Amino acid sequence: MQRYDFLKVIAGDTADALVVSTGWASREWWALKPSEGNLKTRTLGLVSSIAAGLALALPHRKVIALDGDGAFLMNLCGLPTIALQSPGNFIHLLFDNGIYEASGGTATASSVADPVALALGAGYKHACWVETVEQFRAEFLETWRKNELTLIAVKVNPGQPKDLPPLRLDEVENKYRFMRYLEATEKKGLLNPGFDSKL
Amino acid sequence: MDAKACAAAIVAGMRKAGIDFVATLPDEKMLEVIRAVEQEGGLKHVPLCREEEGIGICAGAYLAGKKTALIMQNAGFLNSCNALTTTSMQLQIPTLLMIYYAGDRGDRGFTTLGGVTEPVLNAMGIRNYVLRNVDEIDEILAGAQVLADDSKKPVAVLLTKSVLGVK
Repeated sequence: MQRYDFLKVIAGDTADALVVSTGWASREWWALKPSEGNLKTRTLGLVSSIAAGLALALPHRKVIALDGDGAFLMNLCGLPTIALQSPGNFIHLLFDNGIYEASGGTATASSVADPVALALGAGYKHACWVETVEQFRAEFLETWRKNELTLIAVKVNPGQPKDLPPLRLDEVENKYRFMRYLEATEKKGLLNPGFDSKL
Repeated sequence: MDAKACAAAIVAGMRKAGIDFVATLPDEKMLEVIRAVEQEGGLKHVPLCREEEGIGICAGAYLAGKKTALIMQNAGFLNSCNALTTTSMQLQIPTLLMIYYAGDRGDRGFTTLGGVTEPVLNAMGIRNYVLRNVDEIDEILAGAQVLADDSKKPVAVLLTKSVLGVK
């Protein structure tokens, strides 16, 4: 099973959750659930931190991070920071394919480092491995209901479906649309109107 | 002014500038500032384990409408350079960087760090201001925040021992 197979089973369950991703996961998620509430990021490792910042600023809104093992291991320092705040609305999903897929496919250290143990050791309330798509969806729904900081991890095979549609927006357009979407759904102004508003 | 009074003035200046979300990683010289941040009810305080993840936390908070600041030492700024480049600048996200200027003139022990701080900020295109005098706190913090918000970029304020009231 690949990451896409697992994303597919929860795509219908995420309602108006904000979904932060990077790399191939962005294209896969957009293909499954096109939404202005999707955010594509660029810095390897920071998906979880950016998602956590969103979750802290919008505590009534679910925020989901689509993380990978390479990124997760790069940002271990971010785990205790998130655990200290423990945002219950933050759902951390980890797809462990064992490699730096977007960087050529060399192995990560996830063959020896256990992300679930790392998350629990860092202070996450819950963290677990799942194996099947059924278990993954059940854990996801339970986490959604429980509203407590949780990491759900799954081993996946590398790769993705052929013919995934390309993402037709860069980060800046994505950011503006994401913030406009938040303005509309949160019913408040977020973007500085800029100096023209003072003319 | 002693360190506590300076810290109170700095946090009051941050509030006047509109800051409401602050991530921190301590330097001893910033201790009173961080204590004052923790005690200021109008500020959400997120203590960090490493500065680079703070750029991510602040970026996410900004997207949801927060006015963010990151308090750290200049070594932490160097730790953050990739995140500043590929998150803050790539996505055009403002953050006020409040950096203790270790290795500033007269500061022993960190001259190498002090020597690269302004050149690296300038090379990255991050506008930066050195804050030395207590009577400039409000103007420089508010001005830097306006620049950050309008340019949608990080802007740095380098805080020295004199404005922090420390030796």
